Amino acid sequence: MLKTLQASVMALLISLAASIGIANADTIKIGFNVPLTGFAAADGQSALHGAELAVEQVNANGGVNGDALELVVYDDQASPKESAPLAIKMITQDEVVAGVSGSYSGSTRAAATIFAENNVPYISAYAIHPDITRAGEYVFRTSFMGEVQGRAGAKLIGEMLGAKRVTMITLNNDFGISLANGFKEQTDNFGIEVISEYEYSIKDREFGAIVSKIKSDNPDAIYASGYFFTAGPLVSQLRAAGIDQPVIGQEGYDSQKFIEIAGPASEGVMITTSLDRDSSDPMTQAFIEGFSNKAGYPADMVAASAHTAILVLADALARSGSLDKASLRDAIAATDLKASTGQISFNALGEVKKDVQIQIVRDGNWHHHSVISDPDLLAPPSE
Amino acid sequence: MLAIEILIQGLIQGSIYALIALGLTLVYGLLRILHVAHASLFTLGGYLGVLITNATGSLFLALLLAMIIVGFVGMASYRILYYPILSRPPLIALIASIGIFIASEEVFRIIFGPFSISYISPPLQNQIDVFSGIMLSEARIMVVLLAFILLLGMNWLARQTRLGIATRASVVDPDMAMSSGVNVETIRYSIFFIGSAFAAAAGVMVSLLNNLVEPTMGAVPSYKALAIIVLGGLGSVRGALIASLMLGVIESFGTIYFGNLLDRDSLAFAFLILVLMIRPKGIFTKG
Repeated sequence: MLKTLQASVMALLISLAASIGIANADTIKIGFNVPLTGFAAADGQSALHGAELAVEQVNANGGVNGDALELVVYDDQASPKESAPLAIKMITQDEVVAGVSGSYSGSTRAAATIFAENNVPYISAYAIHPDITRAGEYVFRTSFMGEVQGRAGAKLIGEMLGAKRVTMITLNNDFGISLANGFKEQTDNFGIEVISEYEYSIKDREFGAIVSKIKSDNPDAIYASGYFFTAGPLVSQLRAAGIDQPVIGQEGYDSQKFIEIAGPASEGVMITTSLDRDSSDPMTQAFIEGFSNKAGYPADMVAASAHTAILVLADALARSGSLDKASLRDAIAATDLKASTGQISFNALGEVKKDVQIQIVRDGNWHHHSVISDPDLLAPPSE
Repeated sequence: MLAIEILIQGLIQGSIYALIALGLTLVYGLLRILHVAHASLFTLGGYLGVLITNATGSLFLALLLAMIIVGFVGMASYRILYYPILSRPPLIALIASIGIFIASEEVFRIIFGPFSISYISPPLQNQIDVFSGIMLSEARIMVVLLAFILLLGMNWLARQTRLGIATRASVVDPDMAMSSGVNVETIRYSIFFIGSAFAAAAGVMVSLLNNLVEPTMGAVPSYKALAIIVLGGLGSVRGALIASLMLGVIESFGTIYFGNLLDRDSLAFAFLILVLMIRPKGIFTKG
């Protein structure tokens, strides 16, 4: 009884798979792992909207050499133990031509290893761990590494704002630690003295003790790493305690949600990021407008990064002219593309080379403050 | 001066822990169940606090409604989740409870969306000079006052009312209490109502301090409250309260002076392990 049931289910599945295969004969499949449940679901939702927007834009313009792009989406819960089998599934079962990660570092690293082993191109949209691109020559990253942004933060604080005595509040995960490393690497160059540093965990929303201590430290500026859901409470608690020194963050803050959580306290907060809301570039404007129409809320860094990663892939597919993975890989490596997060090209390791945007909160919105385009300072590691 | 300020911040955090841990330790005392899903009620309280305040403009109404609604949800959780498996070993109830807690995070995400929600205009944000330059927001003062009032009320209930006396009798000897005419079911429902309402109050307070509620906000309380009731001696109300405040203060100083070695949660659990090595039954249990 059970055997016949199993057999009929199998038969059903096989016929289903076959029919899907035929229906999608003319589409180019791109794997996309993204956290849609669990703690990272909010970022995952934005990344998915951004990636879908990119696919819609490409397909509306005639697709890639006449073929439509198709996103094969899987929920990886931002967990390596989910993303690894999903990577295998995408490569062997769905036979994707390439993969894009719209996920965090842990899950992206696990998937990157598998893509690299199978010689299938893989692009990390916004996961920042240094080992991701070291998985192999088929792996690329379209966002800044933490170290690069940390260096830009040091230049912003030490040189552009002229603040010298700095307190660091570091998120104790790969994102926060690599930002802190990049920042500290450049403190001497920009005359910064780190007078105190505090660490917190990603689960913390309550910073009462640290805030009290910072008040007595009395720094010139505060360099605080975090995501909008930690930085929002942090900044509002800092301002509520009467600490009005500049707060400098990074792309983790880069969401309208940060402003919503911190409220008026968010005014004047500056971040290093890759999306310029005030850009006059039609590409970026089309993205910002298209995203808020599609998602119903303003674009954020995660969305822009996923959007960029898909466009990089589409551009490389068009240039390589075939679905051969090796030539697609070479085409990605040769990218020189204007995307929603700026002019994109890669170094030998597959790390992106682009300018760092400084955005500031004014009147309840993110706005352009300045740009750091310093290829030496912003050079990602090349091996 | 700095030390006093950090101490105060610790007591504020400790007050929140106390409100959450109270329900947990009461349920354990009565049913010998580790009620992990209690943390879901904390999250629900937070959501109701923000949503009702945004809809009506009244934080007081939101707090009251959140406590009442969550109180009833707590009673329902007893009836639906625990009542059918009371005769099974406590491990079964624990596993069911963990399952409900994990599922609840996704239910919150499906109902309220994956993004956090915030107060449109956060109430009680004015600064008050408590003494000699120590500034606290009204929300922080409210946390401590509310915890104090609720716990005082609880104490009165336990000592002065028939329900309280019957509850204490049921904890000590359920069979004896029952044969003396105590309706054990009424007591269980009451305890779930009170414990859940307190967790809701804690949820509203946390939403106020952080101006943020999110589907996973119960994750930390779910296990930290367990640590607290173990520290305080399982089932002991006074022990849980003192352990809550102690843990709040230890974390507060710890994040400043040991934060680069251990994060807040690790500090709490390092302390728990240390205590259990010396006093395996918790700090405040005799014998």
